[in-house]
Amino acid sequence: MTNSGIRVGRVLRAGTRGFAIGCAVMRPDIPAFGSFVRAAGLTPDSAIYGLIYDVTVEDDLFVRQFVSADPPDEVVLDQRENRQVPIEVSVLAVGCGDGERVRHCLPAQPPVTLDWLYQCSDQEVRAFTTRFDYFRLVLESREVPADELLTASLRAAAAARLESERDSFLVAGGRELARLLSGDPVRLEGILHRLRNP
Amino acid sequence: MTLELGKLTGQVRSMGEDAAARRRQAADLAALARRWLAQYADQGPHLCHPARAVHAAIPTAEPLDAVQPLPAIPERFTVAAADGSQIQPDPHGAALYYLVNVGSLVYRHGSGQAPLAHTEPTLGYAEADLYEDGMLVAGNLLDVRRDLAEITRLADLCAAEPSGPTVAMVDGTLLLWVLEERSQEWKQARVMAYLDQLQRIRESGAAVAAFISRPRRAEVTRLLHLASVEGNANRAMEEPNPLEHLPDRAVFGSLPPGARSALFVSPSSINHGYYTPLGHTIHFCYLNLAAEEGDPVIARVELPAWVVQDPAQLALVHAVVVSQARITGDYPYALARADELAFISAAEREAFEEMVATSLLRAGVISAPSPKAHYKSLTRRGRRRHRL
Repeated sequence: MTNSGIRVGRVLRAGTRGFAIGCAVMRPDIPAFGSFVRAAGLTPDSAIYGLIYDVTVEDDLFVRQFVSADPPDEVVLDQRENRQVPIEVSVLAVGCGDGERVRHCLPAQPPVTLDWLYQCSDQEVRAFTTRFDYFRLVLESREVPADELLTASLRAAAAARLESERDSFLVAGGRELARLLSGDPVRLEGILHRLRNP
Repeated sequence: MTLELGKLTGQVRSMGEDAAARRRQAADLAALARRWLAQYADQGPHLCHPARAVHAAIPTAEPLDAVQPLPAIPERFTVAAADGSQIQPDPHGAALYYLVNVGSLVYRHGSGQAPLAHTEPTLGYAEADLYEDGMLVAGNLLDVRRDLAEITRLADLCAAEPSGPTVAMVDGTLLLWVLEERSQEWKQARVMAYLDQLQRIRESGAAVAAFISRPRRAEVTRLLHLASVEGNANRAMEEPNPLEHLPDRAVFGSLPPGARSALFVSPSSINHGYYTPLGHTIHFCYLNLAAEEGDPVIARVELPAWVVQDPAQLALVHAVVVSQARITGDYPYALARADELAFISAAEREAFEEMVATSLLRAGVISAPSPKAHYKSLTRRGRRRHRL
């Protein structure tokens, strides 16, 4: 796996089930809730795939002084662009790859501190979402807003496809959800409702 | 736990009571000082000469109790602020070096642009860097290098700035503080180097000012005592000064929001010995930074003669300092950011020390902290203590 793509940030903390990334600046749509991201694995060509489930803008005592003070534009830009007020991005691990194939499972090892995290390209998203096995990892995860995350990831995966393929992709995803949540029709209905009404 | 807080309870309680009593006393003394300020307001010309002898603020043409309201704040202006911090050379460390880090911010008010932030770290490690006059560059010697680095950075920024109202700002004082024990030649060389940079700022067309938050100086109160003894320097030195421990800022707590006090000349010997002959005589005034009536926020601002003598420059500095301080509430925004940029945190310092150790190893130098430093690192880091 080549380390190409748009960089989201560097790994701050990592575990098998997920990791936290630090970045300095937010750009349009990056980092975005529900988007697919990739970090390098420890072996050559390997990769760890994840879904962004939380983006937190940290504050500090200096920033707090300006919140109710209507600061000038120059101060707002200084705080946003020059000061290293960290943006923390939380990622749920949902798959790994060895350069040949992608599997929907937890990685054997997490990425290493200060590794770059990349935004997955449309091609990577399409390749990753040819199957829906990662749904189970998301649905079973207790620390993430699983239903919202699944919905957002499905929309992101649909957007990575040709317009003519999007509906059929979402229908296939909905069918897989119906199979997994057959015992929990209320939850299923909630997710499908979110999918139908973005 | 080494510091036994229980043994301090009584002392801390009595400290609080003492502070409250002193505050009540200071309010009475401030009232006396303000009465004297009004009473002797027009005595400035008679006090100039004796004021120098008693190291009191030297009056200018303005009445002592003059109050200048806040001028109109320009729609567009530039503030260039610089501040520095340093790592002192540590004879117990793995290597002998010092580090000076200068942070600066160029803030273009009204531009809608992000300010320009910059840091400039300088490492001193060669013999020529580390020793001056046979002495290790530490303490005041390093402070002087840091101050020179700050003012040089400001002069560079001002020289690069397009024409327009610009104020260069430092935290502290414009009077280079050099220990008296240094030789006359050494002191002169350093002060002249500082004045060269002030001159560069002057030639750039910018104004320059130093900002002192919560100042402790008692030069105006000394002047008021001198006035109360009819300007007699001998009496002023012999007779007890009831205002001795009252800082000037207490006198000017009655300034209206945004207003400044009269201008005074600093009585410092360096000011008259070096700054005055080159036209940089340092003046000062007090400003109330508060935005509205209520608790005053008094700061001291120092300015060179060429700013004071230009009414437009003087008004610009006044307006800019107040405008900048009101962004945060009581301290110029650009200076707060320059300080933040210059600051070397404990974590950064530790990372830098590791970098130095690695570099030494790569160069084949096996070095270690002294036994004292080693044991300090063992006892101070991992000390077993109860959670407070």
